Amino acid sequence: MNYFPDEVIEHIFDFIASHKDRNSISLVSKSWHKIERCSRKKVFIGNCYAINPERLIERFPSLRSLTLKGKPHFADFNLVPHEWGGFVHPWIDALAKARVGLEELRLKRMVVSDESLELLSRSFASFKSLVLVSCEGFTTDGLASIAANCRHLRELDLQENEIEDHRGQWLNCFPETSTALTSLNFSCLKGETNLAALERLVARSPNLESLKVNRAVPLDALTRLMSCAPQLVDLGVGSYENEPDQESFVKLMDAIKKCTELRSLSGFSEVAPLCLTAFYPICENLTSLNLSYAAEIQGNHLVRFIQFCKRLQRLWILDSIGDKGLEVVASTCKELQELRVFPSDLHDEEDNDTAVTEIGLVAISAGCPKLHSILYFCKQMTNAALITVAKNCPNFIRFRLCILEPNKPDHTTSQSLDEGFGAIVQACKGLRRLSVSGLLTDKVFLYIGMYAEQLEMLSIAFAGDTDKGMLYVLNGCKKMRKLEIRDSPFGNAALLADVDKYRTMRSLWMSSCEVTLGGCKRLARNAPWLNVEIINENENNDLMERNEEDEREKVDRLYLYRTVVGARKDAPPCVTIL
Amino acid sequence: MEKGGLELEITELRLGLPGTEKVMKKRGFTEMIMTSSGSNSDHQCESGVVSSGGDVEKVNESPAAKSQVVGWPPVCSYRRKNSCKEVSTTKLVGLGYVKVSMDGVPYLRKMDLASSHGYDDLALALDKLFGFHGIGVALKDGDNCEYVTIYEDKDGDWMLAGDVPWGMFIESCKRLRIMKRSDATGFGLQPRGVDE
Repeated sequence: MNYFPDEVIEHIFDFIASHKDRNSISLVSKSWHKIERCSRKKVFIGNCYAINPERLIERFPSLRSLTLKGKPHFADFNLVPHEWGGFVHPWIDALAKARVGLEELRLKRMVVSDESLELLSRSFASFKSLVLVSCEGFTTDGLASIAANCRHLRELDLQENEIEDHRGQWLNCFPETSTALTSLNFSCLKGETNLAALERLVARSPNLESLKVNRAVPLDALTRLMSCAPQLVDLGVGSYENEPDQESFVKLMDAIKKCTELRSLSGFSEVAPLCLTAFYPICENLTSLNLSYAAEIQGNHLVRFIQFCKRLQRLWILDSIGDKGLEVVASTCKELQELRVFPSDLHDEEDNDTAVTEIGLVAISAGCPKLHSILYFCKQMTNAALITVAKNCPNFIRFRLCILEPNKPDHTTSQSLDEGFGAIVQACKGLRRLSVSGLLTDKVFLYIGMYAEQLEMLSIAFAGDTDKGMLYVLNGCKKMRKLEIRDSPFGNAALLADVDKYRTMRSLWMSSCEVTLGGCKRLARNAPWLNVEIINENENNDLMERNEEDEREKVDRLYLYRTVVGARKDAPPCVTIL
Repeated sequence: MEKGGLELEITELRLGLPGTEKVMKKRGFTEMIMTSSGSNSDHQCESGVVSSGGDVEKVNESPAAKSQVVGWPPVCSYRRKNSCKEVSTTKLVGLGYVKVSMDGVPYLRKMDLASSHGYDDLALALDKLFGFHGIGVALKDGDNCEYVTIYEDKDGDWMLAGDVPWGMFIESCKRLRIMKRSDATGFGLQPRGVDE
């Protein structure tokens, strides 16, 4: 029995925001379960097929904020067919029918249609915040519905979505009475923008803190926008490949100087060097900088800019910065917590001497004591460097290293990189996310299984020798939630060794590995609480009917995930759920 | 799909010229490039077999072959589509965009030759592109400048820019390079005045 009345307990629960903690609370007792579920406002669903909307609503009637994720991570790299699934419509439909007081919807890798957006905009009177990340399936018409109908909209944040731009007047659809905007991000739109409408909208939104425009907003418009929104904290600019004339430059700089609250800068899909210098006045306030889309800008300009950014905590940059540039980052950005270095040369066409190497990584690890997250694309690596990095930075939470050429060994010793990654997992006791690359044997997985106790997500490509590799990971990493593997020699023995392990994981992805249809079928039989999906784009009909039982046939792509609602009904023909 | 131990590699068919082969350890990846299929294959790897010093020569394949491995490198498709290089690269063919490199500058630039109307225009455009006044001089004054402007023509030969009529130049120019005069000797430039 509870010592306190329910209302008191509920009030105490209000202080607990983390969904993991709230999930734990709900396991304490029936009474706590009920109080918790009735008072829960925010729900996070990492796999939209693990549960259905009806059960969600039944359990959490007071739902205000929903986060949903659809396609598996490797969909980002075109490994998942377009029509795979992840449709948001049934969710919006169910929430609308149940008259849930939805205020916030955050979606990642889901398919969103204009109809869904229209329904969303009409069904929830208090709707405030829409965040779409890596979604697709809608057009600016859908955005127009949101703008027009969501009277209390505060946040419209579109990140890296595929949006068909009808070059309509969606910005005009915000009513004149709409003044509550705090965040507007339409950087991923490809078409022309109604500048006048945008300027009017920004001018009547005194609470606007975050504004990220698309490429089509020219410099003079940007200047005007900044002038009427000096309170901006987070700014994403457009594309400025031409040098501004003297007058425009001065006006721009004046506007920038007034934005004393600016802490985060992004955009810059093209930026002439002079343009970049206009931002020097606010560099020292910046905590977040994303120049990773500015492919044409030379390393030296980047470096000069960053030299002023002494308070930077997050930096996303292209490898054109070079090792020398990273050394400057290391000596300047002592507050750096997160670094992402993306490859500028995806086709490996140029003989690019400036791409970063292990030297840059070591420099960063030595100079930035607060670094905890890194994504680093490079051409080469050595064990010695990784060992040094591990010693310098034992606080890594996320460590993703991508050596561009698969199977590339340590370039000084020609050995595998097992020892280097081994040092990382051994030193970084709090490591939650890891991506490995380069030449790797089963040994690296032995190390990962042994040392990576907090590891939740692991990405493997072109690595390992035998099933043992995968088994080390499955047996060792108790906190593993998402395991994604491609082009590695792991097969049925590893897949089937411990079926119950998948109860503790969100999902497993295996593509171009050694698992066979027979193995997958056996798994599906032994684990009815799993959806075992076989994705075979090349086949034009159902896998089961095709070559009836060639169970030895290797499976192209396998995606399995725990679920409480059984096989989904919306799978396309290229997906077979065993 | 051929399977077998590494000793069969010698007999394996490759697309490259003899002598320019990269020693691949994971055959799966090799086959993936050659056959552009993403399916799995024999991944047995002897970790003892390595290329000398780990520094391998580039295989003589077209860049297109390399990028046929689906989803590698793991850069998300939005970024691929929107990174300028990606965008520019697709413009290169047939639209007058050429790559321009300058010695000492780590980054390639791209420019649309068709937007210039003559060598003088080109000189100005190059100056602007690199923020460096002097390239133009190189084109006009030839021998008095630190830099020479050369271009690669349709036949793959490197020629000194400025010799042939403008129309002929933009038709045959595949890429431009601004090179230090001191490096130019011995580079193998076609002598001035030679017909294509």
